[in-house]
Amino acid sequence: MSGAPRRWPSALALVASLIGLVFGGLSTLDYSKHLDRQVHDIHCSFVPGLSSGGAGESACRAAMYSPYSALFRDRYWGGIPISLFAVGAFAFFAAYALYLLLAGPRAPRRAAQFFGAVSLTPLLVSALMFAISALKLGQYCKTCVGIYISSVLLAIAGVVILLDARKGGAAPAADKPEGGAEGGGGGRPVGSLWFVPAWLAALGIFTITPTLLYLSALPSYASYITGCGKLAKPTEPNNALLKHTPAGAKQQATLFVDPLCPTCKAFHKRLEADGIFERLDTTLVLFPLDNECNWMLDRPLHPGACLVSKAVLCGENRAVDVLEWAYENQDRLLEGAKSPAGLPTVRAAIREKWANLDACIDSKDTKLRLDKMLRYIVDNKLQVSTPQLFLGDTRLCDEDSDIGLAYSIRKLAPDLRLP
Amino acid sequence: MKYAGIIGIVAGCTLLAGSAFAVHAEVKSSAERLKTGIAESVKPAVAIANDAEAPYCTPKFKEVLARVIHACGLEGGAARRGCQPADVKTLASISDDDFNALFTPLKERGGVVMYDDGSEKLDDDGKKMLEELWVERKGARYFFIVARASKTGTPDFNRSLSHKRANSAFFHIGDKFKEPDLDKQVGLLWLGNEFAQLGKEYCEWNVSRKGKPCAAEAINRSAFVSWVDCQL
Repeated sequence: MSGAPRRWPSALALVASLIGLVFGGLSTLDYSKHLDRQVHDIHCSFVPGLSSGGAGESACRAAMYSPYSALFRDRYWGGIPISLFAVGAFAFFAAYALYLLLAGPRAPRRAAQFFGAVSLTPLLVSALMFAISALKLGQYCKTCVGIYISSVLLAIAGVVILLDARKGGAAPAADKPEGGAEGGGGGRPVGSLWFVPAWLAALGIFTITPTLLYLSALPSYASYITGCGKLAKPTEPNNALLKHTPAGAKQQATLFVDPLCPTCKAFHKRLEADGIFERLDTTLVLFPLDNECNWMLDRPLHPGACLVSKAVLCGENRAVDVLEWAYENQDRLLEGAKSPAGLPTVRAAIREKWANLDACIDSKDTKLRLDKMLRYIVDNKLQVSTPQLFLGDTRLCDEDSDIGLAYSIRKLAPDLRLP
Repeated sequence: MKYAGIIGIVAGCTLLAGSAFAVHAEVKSSAERLKTGIAESVKPAVAIANDAEAPYCTPKFKEVLARVIHACGLEGGAARRGCQPADVKTLASISDDDFNALFTPLKERGGVVMYDDGSEKLDDDGKKMLEELWVERKGARYFFIVARASKTGTPDFNRSLSHKRANSAFFHIGDKFKEPDLDKQVGLLWLGNEFAQLGKEYCEWNVSRKGKPCAAEAINRSAFVSWVDCQL
C-alpha cells in the first residue's frame, strides 16, 4: 500500500454529507411549512422525501414540537430549527468532500486534517440529540435518525481521511503537485496554516447563511397570537374553580382541561417540560368531554371523564396531583370506561390510588360544583374543546400551542420569563 | 484534478444557495398562507358552550318562557321579582290548559311540592324534593317555581298564599345552597286559584307527598318546581 490518500473516504464523506443535507433539508422544510400556524403532514421516513403515517410520524411530530428542536423559540415564532444549521454544515462538508475527492493527493495535508477534525462536529451534535431523544422524548424520529446515520458515516470517513493525512505518504508521481509543498517531505503538500481560519470562517458562513435567510423571511405573528378570544367573565361567583399557586407563580392563568383528553395530557407535559406550569398562578377548570355530566355533548368523547373530574375536584389542595395521576393512567382509565364493566372499573382505579376521595366523589356538593364549572364555561361562551389556556384574560391560540408556544407565552405574559 | 478547489467552491455555493433559497421560499410561502388564511377556511367548526336544549323546548314554550323571564325579573335588572296571575295571563297569552300543557314535558324533570291547606310552610318531604331537584341542574339556566292555591278561599287570599308558597320554596333554596346569583336563576310565578289550575291527573306526577291522599284541591296547594333546559 502506498502512502497516497485513499479516495473512498472522500467519496463516503460526500455521500454521507449529501444524505445529511437531504434529511436536514426535508426536516427544515417540514418545520417551515408549520410557520403558517396550521397542521401539516411531515416527512418521516428512512427513505428521504417519503411521508409515513402512524407511530413514525408521531415520533417526528413529537421531536418537532419538543423544546429541543429549535433555538431562540421565545424570540421568534417557532424558533430557529436545529436542522437549519445542519443544512448549511452538510452543504459545506459535501463541497469539501468533493474537493478532497477530486484533488486526491494534491489536496494539502492540512485540508485533510481540518476536514477530519471538523467532520466530527455533526456526530457530536447528533450524539447530543440522540441522547435527548432517548432520555427526554423516549422516541426516535426517522428523519433525525437519517441525520444521525449520515453524521456517523461522515465521522468515519473523516477519521480515515485524518489518519491518511497523518501517514503523509508521498503522492504518486502522476498526481504530484507542481511547485513543491510547504513543509517539504517530497510527498503530499502540507498547505498553509492560514487556510484553517479561512475554512473555519467558510464553515461558519455556510452554517449561518440559511438561518439568516430563514429569519429574513419570517412573518410577524404579533397580530395573530392575541386574536383567539378573551375570557369575558373571569370571576366565578360561587368559588367553584380550583386554584394552583406554586411558590414561583408569576402569571395568572386559567386552564380548561379534561383529565382523559390526550391533548390535555400532552399540553400539560409540555407546560411542565418548558418550566411554564410552575410559574403560573393557575385557576383550573375541569371541562370533561363526557355527556354523563356535560350537556354540551350528545355522546361521550372521553367516557369516564366526569367521574375522574369529580375525583380531581375532590383532591382540592392536591387536585393537580390527582390530575397528573389521571394523565399518567389515561389509557388505562379510558380503556376501563369503554370496557363492558364500564365506570365501576374507573371507580376502582380511583379508589385504589385515592381511597379517601370516595365519599366526596358521590356527594351532591361535588356534582353541583362540577355543574358550576361547566356553567362558568357557558357564561364565557368558550369553544367545546380542550385544552384551553388563558394567560390573564387572553386565550392562547391552539395554533400557538406547539412550536409557537414559547414565543406566544413571552408575548402574552412578558413577566413569565422562561428559563 | 487541477480545478478541484474551484469545483468544490462552486459546488458548495450551489448547494448552499439551493438549500437556503428552498428554505427561504418555503418560509415565504408559509407567511403568505398565514396572511391570506387559506388554510383557515378548511378548519372544522367548533361548537360553542351553551345551555342545554331539550326536545320539549318548542317555539311556543320558549316564547312564553322568554316573556316570563323578561317580565318577571330574571333578565334586564328589573327590580321586581316574580309574576302574579294577571301578569301570567297577559304574558302567556294562552289558555289555562295550553299553559299547563307547556309544562307537561317537564313531568320527569320536575316535581310538585305540596303544602298543607292554607299554609306556605314546607314539610321535610317538600324540602328534600327541592334540594334533590336543585342539584340536578345539569345544563339548565333557569329554575321555575310555579305556585298555586286551591279553589277554597277568595282570589285575593289565594293569590297572596301562592305568592308566599313560591317565596318559601325560593328562600329554602337560598338558605340551603347560598348561591349569590340566585335571583338570576329562579323564576317565580304565583297563580293563586285564578289561572291554570291543575287537574287530579297531576297527582300521578312526581309529588312530594307520595302515597298520601291526593285530589284536585290538594294538588293545587302546591308549587311545581323544575329546571328548564332551554336555550333562550
